[in-house]
Amino acid sequence: MVDVSTGTGLIAIGAGLAVGLTGLGAGMAEKDVGAAAVGAITEDPGLFGKAMIFMVLPETIVIFGLVIAILGIFVMNV
Amino acid sequence: MFRRSGKAGNYAYSVARVKAKKSLLMKEDDYNKMLMMSLPEISRFISETGYQKEMAELAGRIQGIDLVEHATYSNMARVFSSILQASQGELYDMVAAYLEKWDIWNLKVIVRGKSYGVDAESIREDLVPAGSLKTESLEKLISLESEEDVLTSYGKMESVNIPAEAVAEYKATGSLAAVEDFLDRNYYQKLLASIDPSSRPTRLFQDYIRKEIDLLNLQTILKLKAEGIYGEDVVKYIVPGGKQIDRKLATQLANAESLSAAAADLTQLDFYEDIKDALESETNSLRDIVAGLKKYEMKEAKTFSHLYPLSVIPIIDYMIHKENEVNNIRIIARGLESGIALETIKGLLVI
Repeated sequence: MVDVSTGTGLIAIGAGLAVGLTGLGAGMAEKDVGAAAVGAITEDPGLFGKAMIFMVLPETIVIFGLVIAILGIFVMNV
Repeated sequence: MFRRSGKAGNYAYSVARVKAKKSLLMKEDDYNKMLMMSLPEISRFISETGYQKEMAELAGRIQGIDLVEHATYSNMARVFSSILQASQGELYDMVAAYLEKWDIWNLKVIVRGKSYGVDAESIREDLVPAGSLKTESLEKLISLESEEDVLTSYGKMESVNIPAEAVAEYKATGSLAAVEDFLDRNYYQKLLASIDPSSRPTRLFQDYIRKEIDLLNLQTILKLKAEGIYGEDVVKYIVPGGKQIDRKLATQLANAESLSAAAADLTQLDFYEDIKDALESETNSLRDIVAGLKKYEMKEAKTFSHLYPLSVIPIIDYMIHKENEVNNIRIIARGLESGIALETIKGLLVI
């Protein structure tokens, strides 16, 4: 078993939560955005490009979470 | 937050589809253009604006004004069915209850057609299979021998018990009034029951339907008054559930001696401003009043359509606008065909 301090362990949990919770949030947002995008594309396939952009917008939240996780692991964990 | 039960509606998907469809509806300019056209030009124009599939399908069999009328109705039926099929859960329940009016419409077409001895093919052409009864069920109704069988069979399909007295009255007098009255009441009762008024958008929808009942009741009262029918004979046709016209006001209006006398009772209603001119004009024409009421209905639909994007409201709003578009096209086509003055046709349009 790897021997780590309590502080390092807490940082690891924090990093996991940052990515996990933002992923959950993005998923919830994409549920409606995705459904609406598919609906719009069904009516007009020309909307695919625009719909795709709206579809990936909530993904930015996960990137913020990932940044915080990386900061936590590589910057704070010195 | 995580509600994924079968009851939850798929609002995002359905509303996005409906919004995309709504952007293709005709604008005021299009109607103005159509008023300047001849019938063949109107046919070509609507072929290019969303009715191409139906126009192409029907062009081989029918022509002229009939082609425009049938193509617009079958297009509306196809569009409404696709909305119904795309809806799920509570949204499906509400849309299905709202579209049941087309089932009633189809029943009326079949029963009336049969009572006048119209052939099956002509009945079929006037049907609008936009409700829950699909072509197969309607075919079954058309194939039945007598009108009573049609009414009984319809009752079974839609789980409604058409009262025996209403059917007996139809048998004795040939008048469908009692059956129609029962079906209309039942339709609004079921529709109001399908709406769960626990959220603000559904409450708005419920309010809209209750206002629609008011307008329907007012039209009934005014039409019967124009025929010289007063009092209890009118009140029995009043559909309960209206928002502003309750039984007391309905009785008051029904007992008023003339349209002008009734006008005094109408001043307290929301839509008085919209029908004021028609009521006060010398001609006092029912047609103008009805057009005024239709305009008010559209105005109401427009005001609430942008309020709650993820609710049943944009879907109902679209269906109201689509039905209105079809009516407008038919008014223009019929009006031009009959040589009615452009100004009169324009007055009938609800834009």
